[in-house]
Amino acid sequence: MELSIDRLTKHYGKKIAVDCVSATLTPGVYGLLGANGAGKTTLMRMLCAILEPTSGEVRLDGKEIAAMGENYRDVLGYLPQDFGFYPTYTAAEFLSYIATLKGLPRDMAQRRIRELLGTVGLLGAAKKKLRTFSGGMKQRVGIAQALLNDPQVLILDEPTAGLDPKERVHLRNLLADYAGERIVILSTHIVSDVEAIADQVLVMKNGRFLLRGTVPELVRQANGKVWELTVPAAQARAWESRFTVANFRHEGEGDYVVLRIVSDERPAEQAVPCRATMEDLYLYHFGEEA
Amino acid sequence: MELFRLEHKKLWRKASVRVCVLLCFAYVVIFGGVLSYQWFEFGSTNDVTSAFGNNFDGPAMIRSYQAQAASYGEYLTDEVLQQMVRDIQADNARGVYWENKSCRSLVNSCLSQLYPELEDPDSAYPILMEYYVDSGGLTGLYARRQAAVEEFLHLQGQGAGEEGAMLLAMNEKVEEPFPMGWTGGWQNLLGGALPDMGMIMALFLAIVLSPTFSGEWHSNTAPLLLTMDRGWRHLALAKVLSGLAFAAELFGLLAVGGVAAQLVYLGTDGWDMPIQTIKLLAVAPMNMLQAEIYEYAFTLLGVIGFAGVVLLLSAQVKSNVLALLLSLAVAYGPMMIAQYLPYGLQKALDLLPLVGSSADIFRTNTFHIFGKYIWSPYLLIIVPVLIGLVCIPFAIMKWSRRQRA
Repeated sequence: MELSIDRLTKHYGKKIAVDCVSATLTPGVYGLLGANGAGKTTLMRMLCAILEPTSGEVRLDGKEIAAMGENYRDVLGYLPQDFGFYPTYTAAEFLSYIATLKGLPRDMAQRRIRELLGTVGLLGAAKKKLRTFSGGMKQRVGIAQALLNDPQVLILDEPTAGLDPKERVHLRNLLADYAGERIVILSTHIVSDVEAIADQVLVMKNGRFLLRGTVPELVRQANGKVWELTVPAAQARAWESRFTVANFRHEGEGDYVVLRIVSDERPAEQAVPCRATMEDLYLYHFGEEA
Repeated sequence: MELFRLEHKKLWRKASVRVCVLLCFAYVVIFGGVLSYQWFEFGSTNDVTSAFGNNFDGPAMIRSYQAQAASYGEYLTDEVLQQMVRDIQADNARGVYWENKSCRSLVNSCLSQLYPELEDPDSAYPILMEYYVDSGGLTGLYARRQAAVEEFLHLQGQGAGEEGAMLLAMNEKVEEPFPMGWTGGWQNLLGGALPDMGMIMALFLAIVLSPTFSGEWHSNTAPLLLTMDRGWRHLALAKVLSGLAFAAELFGLLAVGGVAAQLVYLGTDGWDMPIQTIKLLAVAPMNMLQAEIYEYAFTLLGVIGFAGVVLLLSAQVKSNVLALLLSLAVAYGPMMIAQYLPYGLQKALDLLPLVGSSADIFRTNTFHIFGKYIWSPYLLIIVPVLIGLVCIPFAIMKWSRRQRA
């Protein structure tokens, strides 16, 4: 299976949301990383065939997805960002509604709903109205609905938003298990999620793919650009205004702080180089926006 | 079918929908039916300044009016009219007052329209002819009615040609003599309650149905639904069907409630009287039951048509408020601007769902289309539902295409 993105572009008036991006996606987990407004959601909507590109096309195994219509939607699972619910439905009813929309036979749907509610840890809340759910619980229902039809192409827009750390880890493991021979694309600006799960990372900025590669490949690009520097606590703000500071922690009695600085140049003589992470790479490219 | 069931369930689960149904039922059935019969329409007059000052004795008053009408025999004849006038005058001399909602309104209507030459302009109250005319002069009731109809059509400019022939041919089918009975209850129902029912329903249907499609954008569920196998046409069709089903169910609820109240308070008395006993110059050969069936059918088809229009508007926009305002404008806009428009345009607007009136069966309005004259109630009942049905495929297509722009 191959999902190919060919010079995909989307304009909103004069604003260019996605600017001639191309990629070929094969089974695996793809992390789409970028700041707010980078074009991730627009790209995902075009990949779902619910938003018409200004130019370019998306093909699944050589067939244009817009032309595939229902055949594409049959193999697609989608979790939109901040999507709404019907508050008067219970979790089971909502999933039943989505299963019907996906054309699943009733018996199979009921079996699958029980299974997925168990997977996302909501079996006990199946008969509770969605209006009583917390943000994290709603997000888990959203993930369950995306998986209902056992999709070959799974697109998740900010799936970990609203989840607590335990739920995030659970979701990451779930997606890693699920991927197998399927294409899973998840967008996020939570770098650690991408780092933990993605086989390939696509970094978007201003509607374009800025970087792409595996996590180790990308992290290597940031090596030699990350430094640790110990300075008096009173000077910390001054350093922060001059450099991109990924982190700072107090040292000793609190008179000194250790700054983690992302910079092409050694920020000071006493700064020591250290091992880069995906977060450092992200800050290297989006430091001014972050 | 499953999708329709789930959509329908979703619609009825909304608190706003239940509140709307409750309010609509309260207004139409409780206020317009039960309390109207029991209290402020047929309760005996206690306070002439307000119907709400009436006594709570509607059923007893209705029974007395029905008994009074029945005492005059089976048919309305010259002799019956004369006897009623004599009774009114005798009771008046004894200080007994016949209320307007009794047989007096029928008598007054006959006298003022069929015996205008007997009006005494020097009387203290010239229009209350039943108090002073000589009953012996009240003869030739049906011949006078025929002459009055012809004169009325002539004055309306409808007397000659094909149009006049059509209307007079209808009038010839009105059976004479008219069965005698109490008309007050039927007049209240056919002339007021039923024609108003559609207008009230329009408000609540607009509130309930305008978010059908736009609400999915409002609640941010549309992007999800449109990635589903059946999220396009199947879902749109299910939404349309559940919207139409809701309109029919709301109508059914009101109709069943209204008919139940009617049977309890008015009974079936007088169902076979011609509508001419309410309006003498009407030309339609219909009895009360037929007129009631027409008016209910008119409202049902009107609400189905209106639901179709509202669903189309809902699919056109992404804002619930805008969808609601547009829906209300379709129903009430024409009523507000009609008086400023030429007559032909007014009549054309009447063809919009729930804009025209079912009370046109009492009138002689016609449409002149492709050289043919058509009595207005025929078009008023058919065209609105056709407009609604035509809107449905466009609503479905619009929903399917909305996101892809």
